[in-house]
Amino acid sequence: MLLGTLIYGFVNSAILALLAMGFNLTFGISGVANFAYGAVYIFSGFSVWILLNTLGIPYLLAVLIAILLAALMGLAIYYGVILRIKGMPLSEVMATFGLGLAIMELFRYFDFVGFRYTLPVFIDGSFSIGDVYIDYQRMIIGLIAIGLTFGLYLFTNHTRTGLAFRAIAQDERTALTFGIDADLVGGLSMALGCALAAIAAVVILPLGTIAVEGGYEVLINALAVCIVGGLGSTVGILVASVLIGYSQTITANYLEPHWMMLVSLIAIAIVLVVKPSGLFSHQKELEERI
Amino acid sequence: MKRKIGLFGFVLLLVCVWMVPASHVFAKDPIILGVPTSLGFLEGKEGLACVNMAVDEINAAGGVKVGNETRPFKVIAIDARGAEPGVPVSDVIRAHKKLILEDKADFIVFGSFRSECAIACMDVVGQYKIPMILGTAMSPGMQKKVMTNYDKYKYTFRACLNAVYLIKYLGGTMAYLNKEFGFNKVYIMNQDVAWARKTGDLMIKLVFEKMGWEVVGRQQYPTGSSDFSAGLMKAKAKGAQVILPIFDMPQSGILVKQWKTMHIPALMAGFISPLAGPGAWKLFDGKIAGAMNCIFEIGNMPVPKVPKSVEFYEKYQKKYGKPIEAGHSPAPAYEMIYMLKEAIERAGSVNGDKVVAALEKTDRQGAMGRIKFGKDHQVIYGSNPEVEALGCMIQWQEPGKRVIVYPPSVAEGKIQLPEGLKSLK
Repeated sequence: MLLGTLIYGFVNSAILALLAMGFNLTFGISGVANFAYGAVYIFSGFSVWILLNTLGIPYLLAVLIAILLAALMGLAIYYGVILRIKGMPLSEVMATFGLGLAIMELFRYFDFVGFRYTLPVFIDGSFSIGDVYIDYQRMIIGLIAIGLTFGLYLFTNHTRTGLAFRAIAQDERTALTFGIDADLVGGLSMALGCALAAIAAVVILPLGTIAVEGGYEVLINALAVCIVGGLGSTVGILVASVLIGYSQTITANYLEPHWMMLVSLIAIAIVLVVKPSGLFSHQKELEERI
Repeated sequence: MKRKIGLFGFVLLLVCVWMVPASHVFAKDPIILGVPTSLGFLEGKEGLACVNMAVDEINAAGGVKVGNETRPFKVIAIDARGAEPGVPVSDVIRAHKKLILEDKADFIVFGSFRSECAIACMDVVGQYKIPMILGTAMSPGMQKKVMTNYDKYKYTFRACLNAVYLIKYLGGTMAYLNKEFGFNKVYIMNQDVAWARKTGDLMIKLVFEKMGWEVVGRQQYPTGSSDFSAGLMKAKAKGAQVILPIFDMPQSGILVKQWKTMHIPALMAGFISPLAGPGAWKLFDGKIAGAMNCIFEIGNMPVPKVPKSVEFYEKYQKKYGKPIEAGHSPAPAYEMIYMLKEAIERAGSVNGDKVVAALEKTDRQGAMGRIKFGKDHQVIYGSNPEVEALGCMIQWQEPGKRVIVYPPSVAEGKIQLPEGLKSLK
């Protein structure tokens, strides 16, 4: 049981990290609110399903096209919606959240409901660690989550574009004086954040079914991880995912699964009271002190 | 002049010809059927399709005879979303009130999806004296309300299976497993909603305790859960021979996938809605062999020994170009429209009280077997389709066939144990 908790806790943490990564990049690092994030996740899942089952495109190609479509969707949301209300955070939140609702309800309207919306796993089968069996897809999720976390850390700390993302979030005017194009960086961060949502979708959704209402859950989980870890901190995302992921798995294993969702909400409440900037967001903490 | 008179006469004749059938069929207002279900769920979607199919058939055959006149049925559906997590009961009540007060529904058919909502809406239909026939909600709480305050709640009926009858089918299956294989350890996994909780509670109290089974554990999952590894690991650790799943959410298909990939040496026997339809084999890449699932009402799957169930199933496939996938709701949804038609014709009126009295006298042979209401307004289910309505247990067997294994009156084959599980006898 303990080994099972360790293994499935790791998988749960990896899923949470994947879900939060794109949201953290757009909102936390470059300061662009994308509350249509859950809708982009669902959109990507359905895109792969349509490409695969309706158009008969090979799986790998369908995945790549879906990631590209999500990135283009991010650009469209930025230039079509966010740019017009930039600088008004509340409006950004409301507009993107409304857009997300519209996208998800459109799928429902066009009858994308039922059990048949599933994606195939990348590698079929399972293996055992001790007496605990785990399927290859869950291991792939773990590996991709680790890879992307390191990739994102390197990108935001050691590349010019990544540093530009963070500069815009810290102080847009100062960033402008350094010749950083705020609109271009905002657009790029939205595209990259949406692409990350698509990657999360294509690796996580083969575990179950693509359900429209899953988009809301994705947004809540992403928010919980970002708030606990600290918006903008890649290390924070990693730590918060592990904390919440293992807390949820331990809750399910030793208490009851229906308390699992409460873990995220309690974590948000505690962090907001004790350390509102999150566990690892030093920049935001500094801003709050000032 | 003669040509003008001739032309006028021809036009007059055309008008008369056009008006004769119109006056015969649709001279009066249609009888409005309000359908407040959850269209985001398969049972709701296919249930509404069956309501429409029955209405189309009845209207094509001339409509409903109400006294001396014939009136068509008209369906007004609302996606009340009562099955979705987070949607408050008050929203579903509002949907019922809209249908009754704004759309002037004469009857509510198929009703709210979830028992929590359906039971609350009994007060609404009671207040406005609008008969309502339920097609998905399963909690026996509905019958209790009818029996304790008949005058107020007599307007509610249920055509689909309820939790008590589900227990009879599941209990019968467990007794068979005990007799054939000597199994007596069970782990229960259920969705955290009224009907599934109640079914789990009653299975422990009425079946396992009485039969001397050991319930080695139980876990309840909120609607929308997508990881069942915790429950499966516990079931394995505690040596369960049978896992009893009780779920109707789309995500519950994941449970079967995990059961297979985690190599849990226990027989999965209960109800998981995605496992009910013929598409499940392909959907789960054939990895559901050995899993047993309850088909709540026959007709949702064809049972050769009940020809009307085959007829209904084939009619649906012909009309919509795809087979029924839900194991719960479509057949009752179809039958309830015919029950209502017959009741209105017997009553000679659409008056709520008169139709309620006529509905109580329902006795028809339909897709689900013989359909009669008990005193508590629940259709009576049993094991003989000549006498009662019927549900059944199927097992998925190679090469992707649903084999009826219970009750014996309609069984097509024996239960086969999945890989890794051996008989104790």
